[in-house]
Parts: sequence; C-alpha cells; structure tokens
Amino acid sequence: MHIKLNTMKKILFTLLCFFIALSTVQAQKGINFSRTYPAGGRLLMHVDSAAKNIYYANVFPNQPNTSFSYLPEVNQVNIQINFREKVHIQNYRYTILIDNKPTIVNQSINEAQLEDTHAGGDEEIFRSATLGTFPVKGKVITTLVYSTEKPLDIEKAVLYGKSLPKAKIKAFLKRTVTDKGVNYSPITDPKESTQLTLTEKDDELTLVKDRSAIDYLYYTTIKDKQTQKIIYESTAWQYGGYIDEANEFSPYLQVDKSIFKKSGDYEIIIQPSTFSRFKMPANEMEKYTARYTLAITLDQENYSKRELWMYVLFAALAIGFAFLVILYFIKKRNQKKLAENEQQKNTAKLRLNAIRSQLNPHFMFNALSGIQNLMNKNEIDNANKYLSKFARLTRNVLHDRELISLAQEKTLLDDYLQMEQLRFGFNYEINHPENLDLDITEIPAMLLQPFVENAVKHGISKKAAEGKISIAFMQQGKDLVLTVTDNGNGFDTAKKSSGLGLQLSNNRITLLNDIYKENRFTLAVQTNPGDTKISLTLTDWL
Amino acid sequence: MMRAVLIDDEISNLENLQALLNKHCQQVTVAATAQDVSNGVAAIEKHTPDLVFLDIQMGEQTGFEVLKLLPMRNFEVIFVTAYDQYGIQAVKFAALDYLLKPVDIEELKEAVNKTGRKLVAQTPTAQLDFLLQQLKKPEASVSKIALQMQNEIRYIGLTEIIRCEADNTYTHFFLADGEKILVSKSLKEYADLLRPNGFLRTHQSHLVNPKYVKSWLKEDGGILLLSTGEKIPISKPNKETVKKALQQL
Repeated sequence: MHIKLNTMKKILFTLLCFFIALSTVQAQKGINFSRTYPAGGRLLMHVDSAAKNIYYANVFPNQPNTSFSYLPEVNQVNIQINFREKVHIQNYRYTILIDNKPTIVNQSINEAQLEDTHAGGDEEIFRSATLGTFPVKGKVITTLVYSTEKPLDIEKAVLYGKSLPKAKIKAFLKRTVTDKGVNYSPITDPKESTQLTLTEKDDELTLVKDRSAIDYLYYTTIKDKQTQKIIYESTAWQYGGYIDEANEFSPYLQVDKSIFKKSGDYEIIIQPSTFSRFKMPANEMEKYTARYTLAITLDQENYSKRELWMYVLFAALAIGFAFLVILYFIKKRNQKKLAENEQQKNTAKLRLNAIRSQLNPHFMFNALSGIQNLMNKNEIDNANKYLSKFARLTRNVLHDRELISLAQEKTLLDDYLQMEQLRFGFNYEINHPENLDLDITEIPAMLLQPFVENAVKHGISKKAAEGKISIAFMQQGKDLVLTVTDNGNGFDTAKKSSGLGLQLSNNRITLLNDIYKENRFTLAVQTNPGDTKISLTLTDWL
Repeated sequence: MMRAVLIDDEISNLENLQALLNKHCQQVTVAATAQDVSNGVAAIEKHTPDLVFLDIQMGEQTGFEVLKLLPMRNFEVIFVTAYDQYGIQAVKFAALDYLLKPVDIEELKEAVNKTGRKLVAQTPTAQLDFLLQQLKKPEASVSKIALQMQNEIRYIGLTEIIRCEADNTYTHFFLADGEKILVSKSLKEYADLLRPNGFLRTHQSHLVNPKYVKSWLKEDGGILLLSTGEKIPISKPNKETVKKALQQL
C-alpha cells in the first residue's frame, strides 16, 4: 500500500511536467518571470509575462529523454532544476549550449544555492537550484543534464526561440524492381505538385526531407485528396541512405506503393503536429506546415478487397439489372408481337367469316321466291327438293367451320348451282381426278362459292340454256388447284363495277394468306368473251 | 280493272307473281311480262298499264332504269325486290310501295288495293320523279322525304322536321312552321330511315332532329329541351348514344 502511494507521487511529478502552467512569481534580476512551465525532465522554466504562446515540453516517439519547447515570443528564460530527496545531487552535471555552442560545460550543481521548494505546487518537497537566466529570442538553448552514475542517460531539453522552419522535401525516389535487384529513380527538389506514374514493377516510394536538428518534430501524413482520408502517418525518420551537401545524413520515410489504391491526387503534409495539444489555431499551424501534392497515375489500379467486392457486386447487379430490363423488353415485345399476330389472325378470321357468311342475300331470297313459284305451280315434289337443298346450303353456310372437306365443298356447290339453275337455266359440271381423295382433302370453307357465284352472275345469267360452268379440283404436285370456268361474256378485270366481286375475292385471298402463312393462296384470272377462267392455287396444300 | 306489266329478270318470279295475282288480286290483269330493262320499257309503252311490278335488281341493271327511260310515267309502281338496301331506302323516302320476295300474299293484296285508291286520287308521276331525284344523290344526303297522308303526298325538307312522335302505328310529324302531320306508318320505320341523317331516337315514342336540340336537362334522369321549348324524354337505354351523338355535333 505504502509502495503504491509512492509510485503515485512519481506519476504526479511526471504529470506536472506535462500540464500545469503555474503562477509562482520569481523576481530575478529585475525581470518579471511571472509564469512557470515544465521544460522537460527535472527542469522548470520561468518566462517573461509578455509571452502569450508557450508550446512547452513536447515529447516524441523514439526520443526517450528529449523535450522540446517552442518559445517564439519569450525574451529571457530562467531555467530551474529540481531534485527529489535522496538523490545524489553532487553526481549531477549540466551543459548548456546556446545555438549549439557550449556555454556552460559539465558544470556541477552549486549545492549552496539549493533550497527547498514545492517545485510547482506539489506537496513533495524538492531541492531546487537555478541554472541561470538566458536570452532566448532568436536563439536555441539546449540543456543537457546527466548523472555521473548513468552518463548515457542524458536528459535533453531544447528551448527554441527562433522561428521554426517549414520542412522541405528534397526528393521523391521511386523504387523499381528489376531483374538485377532494385532501381531508384529520383525526382529532386520537387515542386508543390508532382506527377508520378507507378507501374506494376514499382514497389516503393521514398520521401527525403532536408536535414535539421529537430527532425523528430516533423510529423508526416499522406491524405487521399478525393476521399480526404489519411492513408499514411509516420514520425519515424530514418537516416543512412542519403547524404546532403554538408555530408550529413538526410532523414527519409519509406512508403509502400500499396497504400495508393487508385490514381488521383494525394497530399503529403509535414507539420509539428504535437503543437495541436495547445490548440494552436489552424492558420498558425499552417505557417509551419509543408504541403506537397502527388498526382499519381497507377498503371494497375489497386483496389482493396472490400472495394473490389463492391465493384464486382455493383457490376454484377448492373449487368443483372440490364439483363432483366432487356429480358423484360424482349418479352414484352414478343408478347406484343404475338398478341399482334394473334389479333391480326383473329381479325382476319373474323373478316373472313364476315365475307364467308355473305352468301348473297339477293340470291337467297330469289331462291326462296323460286321455291314459292314451284309451290304455286303445284310442283310439290320439286318444291320439297329445292327447299331441302336450300336448307342444306344455308346450314352449310351458317355452320362456322374453318375447314371443310372437298366433298363437302362439292355438295355445297352442287346445292348452290342447282338453286341457281332454278332461277336461270344453265349447265354445270364439277370434275376431279379419281386419285384426289375428296373426303380427306380439306380446304377453307366457302372458298370457291364466291367465284362460282361470280360466274353465275357475270357470265351465265344472260345466256340461259347455253350457259356452262365447269368447276375442277386438280392436283399439281403438292399444290391443290381449283378452277372455275364459264362461257359467259367475261369481264374487264380493270373495270370497277364488274370487278367488285373479284375485289371481294382478292380480299379473301389476302386474308387467307394472313391466316395460313405456310401456304400461299394465289388467284389467277383469265377472261375473254365466252371463256373466263379463275384458278385458285393452294401451294403445298397436299 | 287494273292492267299491269310485270318486269323481273327471272322467269320463275314472273310466273309466281302472275299466279298470285290471278288467284288473289282478280282486279289486276297482267297485260305483259318482261325480263329486262329494254323489254320492260317497250312493254310499258305498248300497253300503257295502270300498274307496274318492277324488280329492282335485274342482273347488272336496275328497275329504276326502266323509269328513267320513260318520259311519261302515268302509272303506279310496286317495287318487288329480293334484297336491296340502297334501292329500298330511296323507295321508302319516296313513300312508294314495295314487296319483298318471296311475296307475302297479304302484303300483295294491300299494295294492290292501296294503288287502286291512289289511282283515283291523283297522278303518281310526282312521287316517281321524287324517287329518281333521290337516287341521283349519295345516300344520307337526302334532303326531303315524302309523307303519305290520307289524301295527298307531302314532300317535307328534313330540316323542317323538328321531331316525330309515335301514336300507335301512326306517326306525328311536328314541323318548324308549327304544322302537325299524321302519317299512317310506324315511328320505327321513320327512325330507320332518318337515323342515317342524324335524327336521334331518344325514346320509344320520340325521334328528334338534333338541329332543334337546345340543351340536355338533368332532371328526371335526362330530358332534351328543344328550341321550341318542348321537353322530350330520353329513355335509359338510349342515353349513351344520344349523349355521344350530341357531343359530336
């Protein structure tokens, strides 16, 4: 417990060196040393009250016994040394250098001068002595204290009264791996902005700083300007490889290429960043800050694994999305096309139906009138016969079938022509080769009827008993050829009025071609007075 | 006694009509029959009949051509047709008689009787003139209609007709000059005739000339206010078509 307490005290003493500014008034030689600060190790310093900014007792990595105080506004500094009780004060020596020139060398402590103090307010009583008062403005005062018992444990306190210089980069060196080893290509005295290309074989970048006695003060960071992220920090200046004009080793830092993930601008910032603990304002800090921009072009972009995954994921998503969109549009287009085709087919069918069911009403009612006449003439058997034919014909026409057999078509035409024969006397024949199977071969329903009707209407009606209509079903290779021939007056195919029925037939052919896309329907018309022939060819039908 | 000429391109129709006349209309004597236009014209000129039964569609010719070729048409005409929308429309506009094939015996008798009455009343030429005029014009641009009244035929401009109202099998015509004409035909027949000319069937009993529609009143589920101040009801099933037709005006 007791030991512990003792340890606490030691720590308290150390803390004292780091933090507290005291206001013990020490009047010496007429100077008003109104303020006291730790100066590192066993030292305290008293500075004149005019000084506002005192950046005292800065310590650094790898510099165990070094303390740095920046005193830009202080004129005189009084240095005081404090010893714990039980310390062999007589073994201690001190050396003071002003601007690196030894002023007091290996001086022992004047024990007569020692007095008990609280050394800055601590409860513990210290034995204190003054090492002297020195002008510090524009000067650097270095105090070295050591014990003869441990002569290598030199406590070094630097009181810096000069204006602190900005760091300067003397060179960038790019290391390239070659067959024989490595090769360095330097860029010396770089400007504030430097272009640098890093190829696959480059692996390292070295920054060489100008040499100064206080290199340890300068803290280096590298920032990605795009992301504003710090990608590198170091105070570990190395010495050995590079020698400056004064034959002194220049401090340098080695930076692995891998920190540069992407091409772009990077900023190298070198500044005494320990001052930030005194809340040095940014503009003040900027006075001591060196900034260099490296515009790096990478031959091969380095991506972090995470970035890489993100890119891969993003690319995959983008491709997937694009694919889906394309698929969607293709599907939509196909659907539309299909629907359009279907619709086209349907309308074609509907229109065909409409045309098909147009068994000329004029014919129908005249046929009925003809039957009425048979009745009125008391030809009851004939009336029955024709009424049955009329009924069958009407039924066949009304029956909505897409395809009927040639045999059915033949019956329909027989019925139709016999009804027409009742109205107009004429002869007709329906021919077909024996090898053509009428029951199996199917054709679109009511295909020939309009042409036959045309033959009756335009060709025959006036010729009465001399009129003749020949219908033939023929096989020509794989084609089915249907012909209707009459010996009527014929007609002018170009003349509009007589072409009306023909135009209707042409429409039918177009519609049939829309529906049966595999088979072409072609219509040929030859017309001369006394000989009109209509041939309808159904290609690849058989 | 009436002397008749029958014109039809089909022999069986001629035979049939002749048989029916002989049996059911004994006041008619068939003076001649003809199977085409030129023979028909010749037969009429030769026999100067009181009555002509005229087929409208004869091969590639029409019965109307027979009429065109005759300068003097001092005979009555009963048209006989199997099916001819266009011809029938014109015949109806001229308020002439027509028979549909196969011929209905009652209709035949009625047409013949009516003709007998007309022959006493007036010369028929005017009606035939009117028919031939109508035929020259494109369909649906007819500007006048013949209305058969008790003792006369009136030719009324379509723009003169404000509205028609059904009265059983009769139809009242309300004209722009305030006159009201009663015609012995059903409203349905006139609705069929006049609808292609823009007339609106607003109700089972009402046919309205859109020219005289002033506004659509929302009361009682829709009423048309005419410029004469009359209110014409619109029945539910006709609402949409009437609305659409009025919007297009």
